[in-house]
Amino acid sequence: MRVARVLITARTPWWAREAALKMTGFATSVIGCKCEAGIERELAPSETPDGRPGISVLLLTMAKDDLSKRLIERIGQTVLTCPTTSCFDGLPDAPDRVGVGSALRLFGDGFQGSKVIGGKRFWRIPVMEGEFLVEEKFGLQKGIGGGNFLILATSPDAALAAAEAGVEAIAPLQGVILPFPGGVVRSGSKVGSRRTKGMVASTNDAFCPTLRAVTTTALPETVNSVLEIVVDGLDARVVAQALRAGIDAACRDGIVGITAGNYGGKLGPHHFHLRQIMSPDGRAW
Amino acid sequence: MTGGETVLTLRAPLRRRLDATGVAWAALPGLDAEGIGSQEVWVEGEGRAVLGDVFEVHGAPAPRVRLVGDLTLVDGIGAGLSGGDLVVDGDAGRYLGRDMRGGVIEVRGNADSHAGAAQPGAKRGMTGGEIVIRGSAGPQVGAGLRRGMIVVERDTGEATGRGMLAGTILVFGSVGPDPGLWSKRGSIVAYGSLTPSAPYRYACTYRPPYLRVTLTYLKARHRVPVTPEQLAGHYRRYSGDLAELGAGEILAWIP
Repeated sequence: MRVARVLITARTPWWAREAALKMTGFATSVIGCKCEAGIERELAPSETPDGRPGISVLLLTMAKDDLSKRLIERIGQTVLTCPTTSCFDGLPDAPDRVGVGSALRLFGDGFQGSKVIGGKRFWRIPVMEGEFLVEEKFGLQKGIGGGNFLILATSPDAALAAAEAGVEAIAPLQGVILPFPGGVVRSGSKVGSRRTKGMVASTNDAFCPTLRAVTTTALPETVNSVLEIVVDGLDARVVAQALRAGIDAACRDGIVGITAGNYGGKLGPHHFHLRQIMSPDGRAW
Repeated sequence: MTGGETVLTLRAPLRRRLDATGVAWAALPGLDAEGIGSQEVWVEGEGRAVLGDVFEVHGAPAPRVRLVGDLTLVDGIGAGLSGGDLVVDGDAGRYLGRDMRGGVIEVRGNADSHAGAAQPGAKRGMTGGEIVIRGSAGPQVGAGLRRGMIVVERDTGEATGRGMLAGTILVFGSVGPDPGLWSKRGSIVAYGSLTPSAPYRYACTYRPPYLRVTLTYLKARHRVPVTPEQLAGHYRRYSGDLAELGAGEILAWIP
């Protein structure tokens, strides 16, 4: 996958978060949303190019061309429209770059202007509130999507509590996002469909407790609920670190087992073997 | 080596103007003392000379070049610079950074007229890079500026940014009369007193987002003494020159 990091700043942390929430909305899976996106972390004023509070967002797509389109669409519809925001590239050292501000400038209808500051070009787009500032190009690099683990629990309550603990443990880590609601997936999928031709994915019946009696189940007898945590990140190392932190935190009362959806090893080139990640040697990731 | 810099120290106070436009300023960091010393200059009323006649050279080669002395009579310092850092530890003469395309020139004193400006008859001045003048700048600073940034920590003379095509001039003292006349685009940002030129019209009072980025950058990269009030403040925006394209602006900070 390809990943970009978008820095959104605003007059207050609240407005930066509002823009980031809108930008990362409906971006849980590339299968149905064309991209995966999430909030990486909050940024202190000292960490942003304009000295204002900000939010860092990661956005992933399958291909470079898609990334450019999604960035232009989403920044154009959610950050440009949000009061007081500015938008900057968060991967300045990435050699591969796509035009974003260079496309959004056209909204200025000829009244836009640009400035080169410290070797980077920024576009000033006049808007009713005042002016929207966006960097001309954004860096992109290869990223990792779909790192995951499944929490097998004796009850729905135990599964949810474990998943929440896992999400909380991953949240402080940099370079990763959890693209699903609250970081948690209840509807893990398998590749393809038994019944409907052409469907890319359908319910992971082997892990559905209600189907234990009618399908080839993967669930131990005592499991009554399963939740999944999906991790996307800038590279394999940070994804592995996040998986380890999440699994460590999720292993608590009511958890029968932790496993992962491996999709026959066909989801992508990166395989995260949980036993290796959780072993003492795995901590060297 | 002197702390990673080549130092050119004026041998004796100058009595005649010296034109240093012909010096290969962009190439100096790669030259040894002999190479630098053999660069040609032109002495008013005397003719051809070399840098080595005027300056003592130490520490070459090095990535940064520093000139030491009162260089008020040296014109064309940094002409054609395309990269690297050039420091003037004193005052600089006319046409500082003429035809500059990149890099940084820091003047720790004052600069005479036409810093970053187009040479006589030329349509455009510097096309890239940054000039930081810790003191004041003379008339026509940034005249014909095409791209790049000029920072003046104190005052500027008349016709600041005359005929600008683009780029940014920030003045932390008072701005001389007739700023931005004949400019097509570009920004003049004033933190001291300023009277907008007649063909400029008031647009609004707002916080230009790009100035926050610019000031944050200048503070970090060039240690320009930016205050929190300047960073977060409101600015009066004047558009002009309306007798030209009218896409230029004067931004006057409201203390």
